[in-house]
Amino acid sequence: MNKDYNFAFLDEGSKREIRRSILKAVAIPGYQVPFGSRELPIGRGWGTGGLQLTLSLIGPDDILKVIDQGSDESVNAVSIRKFVTMCTDVATTAKTGEATLIQTRHRVPEVPLRDDQILVLQVPLPEPLRLVEPREEVTKMMHAEKDYAPVWLLLYESLIRYKKITLAADYPVMAEDRYVMNPSPIPKFDNPKLHDAECLYLFGAGREKKIYAVPPHTKVVSLAFDDVPFERESFKGKRCRLCGSTDTYLDELFDADTGARVWQCSDTAYCKEVRARCV
Amino acid sequence: MKKIHDFDEVFDAQKMFRLVLTALSSPGKTVDIARFSGKMYGTRPAFLAVAMTLLDNEVSFDAGPDEALAGEIVSLTLAKRAPLDGADFIFVSGPADLRAAVENAKCGTLRDPHTSATIVMNIDDGRDAILRLSGPGIRDVIEIRTSPAVQAALELRDAQFYEYPQGIDFIFVSAAGGLFAVPRLTRREG
Repeated sequence: MNKDYNFAFLDEGSKREIRRSILKAVAIPGYQVPFGSRELPIGRGWGTGGLQLTLSLIGPDDILKVIDQGSDESVNAVSIRKFVTMCTDVATTAKTGEATLIQTRHRVPEVPLRDDQILVLQVPLPEPLRLVEPREEVTKMMHAEKDYAPVWLLLYESLIRYKKITLAADYPVMAEDRYVMNPSPIPKFDNPKLHDAECLYLFGAGREKKIYAVPPHTKVVSLAFDDVPFERESFKGKRCRLCGSTDTYLDELFDADTGARVWQCSDTAYCKEVRARCV
Repeated sequence: MKKIHDFDEVFDAQKMFRLVLTALSSPGKTVDIARFSGKMYGTRPAFLAVAMTLLDNEVSFDAGPDEALAGEIVSLTLAKRAPLDGADFIFVSGPADLRAAVENAKCGTLRDPHTSATIVMNIDDGRDAILRLSGPGIRDVIEIRTSPAVQAALELRDAQFYEYPQGIDFIFVSAAGGLFAVPRLTRREG
C-alpha cells in the first residue's frame, strides 16, 4: 500500500460527505443527491463517481471486484482495481460470489447478488430527464412535481417512429412509484435485476456530482405502456460460444475475414465459472 | 499523544458507517455497534460513535438540553450547533425531548428532500412494543419487538403527514449497543 496517501485515497472529510449523501440516497430511492465530487487521478467520465463511492465504502475486510462491460480484464476495470489496491491493500477477486464490494460499468453480474454485497455502478449521465430538458433547475422541479410527461412522450415518439422503443441502454425506470431514475447504461437485459433485489445498488456520477441508490427489496419498474410491455434484448436461438449459456447477456462478435458472427457471454467471470463446472 | 477515546477516525469510522448503511438499507435490522461505542466515553458513547462517523464542520446538530453531550460533539467533530428546526442531525436522549424534535425537525423540500434532518435517538432495551414494518429494504413485512419509545417516535412522525419525498429518517441506538434505522419510506403496518 502506498503510505503517502490516506487509506482509500480520499481524506476523511470527503468520505464523510459522500457517506452522508449515500445514507440520504438510500432513504430516498431513485433521488439524485448532490455531492461535492472530488478530484481523482483519473479523468471525470471514467468512473470517478463509482470510484468515490467505492473509496468511501471500502475497508480492510472487503473483497473487491471491478468490472467493465462485464469484463474483469478491460482497461477501465484493471486501472480502477490497481488504483484501489494501491491505496487500500484490500483483497480482489474476479469471482462474483466472493466479492463484498463490486464496482461495475454498464453491467449487472449474471449471478444474483446477496444481501451482504454492494454493487457500485458508474454513471455517466444520471439525469433521465436530460434528453428532454437541458436545464438542471428545470429537471429538479420536474422531479419535485413528479412531472414525467416528457419522458413518456419520448418513449411514445420512439414507438410511433420506429414501431419500438429504441433505447437500448440507460432505459429509464420508476423507483418505488416516485422517481424516474436512470439505471446507468446497463442493457435493458439487466433492468429487472434492480427490482426486489437482495443487494444494495449505489450509483455514482462524478462529473455530474450525483449519488443515488436502490436499496434491497425496492420496487423498480422499467417504464412501459399498458399495451406495449417492456421487453429485454432477446437472444433467442443464440448461445455463448465458450460456455454454451443461453440465458445470459451475449456480446456479438464479428469476424471481418470470414463474415462469421458468434456470441459469447458479456459477463466473463460467469462464463469462466460455467466452463469450470463443465470440466 | 494521549487521546480521550480509542475510536479510529479512519478504520472504525469506515466499519461503523457500513453498519449504519446496513441498518438504513434494511430497516428494522439491528446491527451491533458495541465495539465502537465502547471506544468512546461519557454517558452517551453510542451517540458519540455515530457523531464521529457522520458529523463534521459541514453539518449542524442539536442535542436538546444535554449541554455536556453537545459540548462533546462539538469538541470531537467541530460540527455546528443549530436550533432544532435548522439541525441536520438531532440527538434525542430520551422520550421527554422526542415530541419537540419530531415536530420541529427539517423535513426537506419536494425539490431538495435530502436537506431533511436525521434523528438519532437513544432507546432503552425494552421489547414491549411490537412493530410491523414494510417498505424499501424489507421483504414484504418485518415484525420487530422493541422499545415503546420507537413506537412513540413513529406515531409522532406519522402525525406530521409529510408529503414524500419530504420526511425524516430515524437512527435508534440502545445502551446495549444495538442500532437500527427507520428511514422515511418505512411504513407501519396494522
